[in-house]
Amino acid sequence: MVGFGMIIIIVAVILLVFLGFALRKPQKEVTEDYEVSSFVQAFLQYTTDCRDNLEYLSVQKLILDCEHGEKCLDGRDTCEVLDFTLKEIVEESWDVGKDRPVKGYTLKIMIGGEEILFLEEGNITNNYKGSEEYLPREIDIYFTAYS
Amino acid sequence: MVMKKGQFKIQQMAFMLMAVTLFFALVGMFILVIKFSGLKESATALEEKNAMLLVTKLANSPEFSCGEAFGSSKANCIDSDKVMMLHENIDKYINFWGVSNVEIRKIYPKRDSTEICDLGNYPDCNVIQLRSKELAGYDVSNFVSLCRKESLDGEVYDKCELARIMVSYLKK
Repeated sequence: MVGFGMIIIIVAVILLVFLGFALRKPQKEVTEDYEVSSFVQAFLQYTTDCRDNLEYLSVQKLILDCEHGEKCLDGRDTCEVLDFTLKEIVEESWDVGKDRPVKGYTLKIMIGGEEILFLEEGNITNNYKGSEEYLPREIDIYFTAYS
Repeated sequence: MVMKKGQFKIQQMAFMLMAVTLFFALVGMFILVIKFSGLKESATALEEKNAMLLVTKLANSPEFSCGEAFGSSKANCIDSDKVMMLHENIDKYINFWGVSNVEIRKIYPKRDSTEICDLGNYPDCNVIQLRSKELAGYDVSNFVSLCRKESLDGEVYDKCELARIMVSYLKK
C-alpha cells in the first residue's frame, strides 16, 4: 500500500510540473495577421484628394505633412484630411458590430513617440489580431481588429 | 487458515495492479487531452495562413504587381491597368495559378452600385473579374492597393485606391 501511495505522489508531482509548463504558455499572442498587416500597407499607399505643389499625397506622405503642420493646396489642414480619410477607409473596410465577426478596432499613428491620430470603434475583446508597422522617420502605426 | 491468507494477498495484489493500471491510463488520457486540445485550432489557423499567403503571393506576382511603375517597389500593390490587359488575355492563363477565379473589388472610395469593369467603362467601375463568372466554391481575400496612372488637365499622376483581392477555388 505504501508503494502505491509513493507512485501516486510521484505521478502527481510529474503531472503538476507538466501542468505548470502547459499553463505558462500565453493564452493569446499578438499575432502578426496577414490580413491586418496587408490592410495597413494598402491604406498607406492610398492616394488622397489632398495635393501639394507636386502631386496628390498618399496617406503615408499625409502623415508626415500632418506632423509638420502643413496644408493642402486648397487650404485644408492635412491632419483633418488624414483623420477624415482614415476614418472612412477603416469604416468601409471593417464591418464592425456585435453580431459581426469583427467586434471592434483601434488604429493609432505615432511619430517620434507622439500620437497624431487615434481611432477606435466597437468593443475591445481578448481575441484580436494586430499589426505594427514601423516606417522611416519614426512613424509607428498600430492597428488591431477585435473579433 | 494459511491458505486463506495467501488467497487474500493474491487478491490484494490483483486489485493493486488493476488500480495502478487504471491510474496510469487516466493520467495518460489526461495528458493526451491537454496535448491535442489545441491541435484542431492550430490546423485551422495554419490553413487560413496558407490561403492568405497564396493570395498575397498572387498579388505580388509579376502579372498583378505594380513593380516600380508607381515609384519604389510596393508590397500588396496591384497595377489595375495591367490587370485589365490580363483580363483581355485570360484564356492564355487558364489553370496557371490553380484557382477558379480572381476578383478585385474596390473598397474605398465607395461606389453605390456594383459595376463590372470592361475596357468600355474602365476605370469608372469597381469590380474587376478576371473570368466572367461569379466566385464559386471556397474563397479567400486580402487587402491590396489598386493603382493606375490617372490624367488630370494633361498631367499624369499615380492614383491608388483600396481594394480586396478575392481568390476562389473549387472544392476538391
